[in-house]
Amino acid sequence: MQQQKNRLRYATIAASLALGAVAWEVAGHLTSGAFWAPLSATLRSLVEVARSGVLLKQGTNSLELYLTGLLLAIAVGAPLGMLLARVAWLRIALEDYIMMLYATPMVALVPFILSMLGFGFVPKVLVVFLFAVFPVLYNTVEGARSIKPELVEVAHSFRSGEWQLWRDVMIPYTLPFMMTGIRQAIARGLVGMVVAEFFLSPSGLGQMIMMGSQNFDTAGMLAAIFIIVLLGVGLMDLGRYLENRFAAWKGYNP
Amino acid sequence: MSGASAAPLRGRAGSPRATPVSPFVLKAVAGLLLLVLWEFVVRMLAPGYVARPSGIARVFSSVITDAQFLAAAGATLGAVAQGLAVSLLAGTAVGFLMGRAAVAEHGLRYYVNSLFATPMVAILPLVTLWFGYNADARFAVVVFAAFFSVVVNACDGARSVPPEYLEVAQAFRARPLSTLIDVVFPASLPYLLAGARLAAGRALIGAVVAEFFISIPGLGYYLLYNSRTFKHNEAFVAVIMLVAVGVGFEALINWLTKRYLPWSRRD
Repeated sequence: MQQQKNRLRYATIAASLALGAVAWEVAGHLTSGAFWAPLSATLRSLVEVARSGVLLKQGTNSLELYLTGLLLAIAVGAPLGMLLARVAWLRIALEDYIMMLYATPMVALVPFILSMLGFGFVPKVLVVFLFAVFPVLYNTVEGARSIKPELVEVAHSFRSGEWQLWRDVMIPYTLPFMMTGIRQAIARGLVGMVVAEFFLSPSGLGQMIMMGSQNFDTAGMLAAIFIIVLLGVGLMDLGRYLENRFAAWKGYNP
Repeated sequence: MSGASAAPLRGRAGSPRATPVSPFVLKAVAGLLLLVLWEFVVRMLAPGYVARPSGIARVFSSVITDAQFLAAAGATLGAVAQGLAVSLLAGTAVGFLMGRAAVAEHGLRYYVNSLFATPMVAILPLVTLWFGYNADARFAVVVFAAFFSVVVNACDGARSVPPEYLEVAQAFRARPLSTLIDVVFPASLPYLLAGARLAAGRALIGAVVAEFFISIPGLGYYLLYNSRTFKHNEAFVAVIMLVAVGVGFEALINWLTKRYLPWSRRD
């Protein structure tokens, strides 16, 4: 019974993917080339950019930007969130502002960054950073709020030093929340990356999409979008994995 | 530091009561300090046109009553509201279908998940190819940005309905439609609200980004245009508007969750 169900399931998935591929191909042949390109043409274009090294070059370019911004965001957001976890008055003073920035559509700041900092690598990293940092910070602070004061009191009763308190209480308790933040940051950072590549100086995968659309090379554009979709799916899975890995962490009660 | 006294014990990660000053005063002082810091940093380091609190305060009332600004705000927020409404209705329907029918779930899952993970910015050039450089393209981007987060959450919600509820409905010979409306819908409300919150944030970003790209009247274009002409203070009023809408919606969802769904704490 279970086996049969599984077989049906895989059959459905395979059928839906095959149907999608056929629809993509047929739509490409039915419409004008400026609107949509067949799957075969898109794949051919993909192979071509992969073979010529353009994909590798632009992909590395994009990843460099993305990883720099994301890692900076984690390196700033996580320790700052932890600090706010420990120093209650600072947390109370700042948490509403952090929540506000967390809810702010960061794209709105892109024109300011453009006109103040221009076109280099730094302003683009700043965009990715701004997209990614507040989810990390906000969620870490949320985690800090969830730490029961009794735990800290017990740790003190047992004469825990500052370092032991961090190791045994603060870090384990905030880590799952921080991972939720990092998962969100991974997704938002990718949006930031494409935004930076579109609206600041064109580069990387964003530039590939733009060039495709400007040259009416729809297959090339779809190929670049396809790469970004794959990147998005991969990163989302990575984020989920990280979150689930640490959600099982001791002391976390969902 | 093993000899830490008991004195700093309270006030650590504790209740707001733990601090000597009231939280409200603390927050107000912090906000004021942040504004002063901003003002000074800009005055010291940045050119004169860069937005700073005193400058924004000076232009705020004239911008907020400016017909052009109000039209821009109306256009953007209208597009967001429409796109969100369409996404919530259609997304909930598709999500419920996926959550309750295995065939639909298996058939659509890969498409929904990949499009959910796609940054909506990436499809902007494609959307403008299809719709042209006009408000329709913005609407499409807003729907694309919001729709899939609604679907994903509605699907999770429909799947999380406790089987006992469904058994009771079955025992009372409820028809599928009334099971859906009276059992599945209320049981998955927390998920739907979480989806709506996510969707609203993404819709707002989608609208602004679309206006940057398409250059049609709206808050995004307003702030792009003004920042290009070095009127940063004016442009920043549009940012404040966007923040107010983002935070306002977030607060609304939180309030709804607390007020009507106190049994669910799902963040």
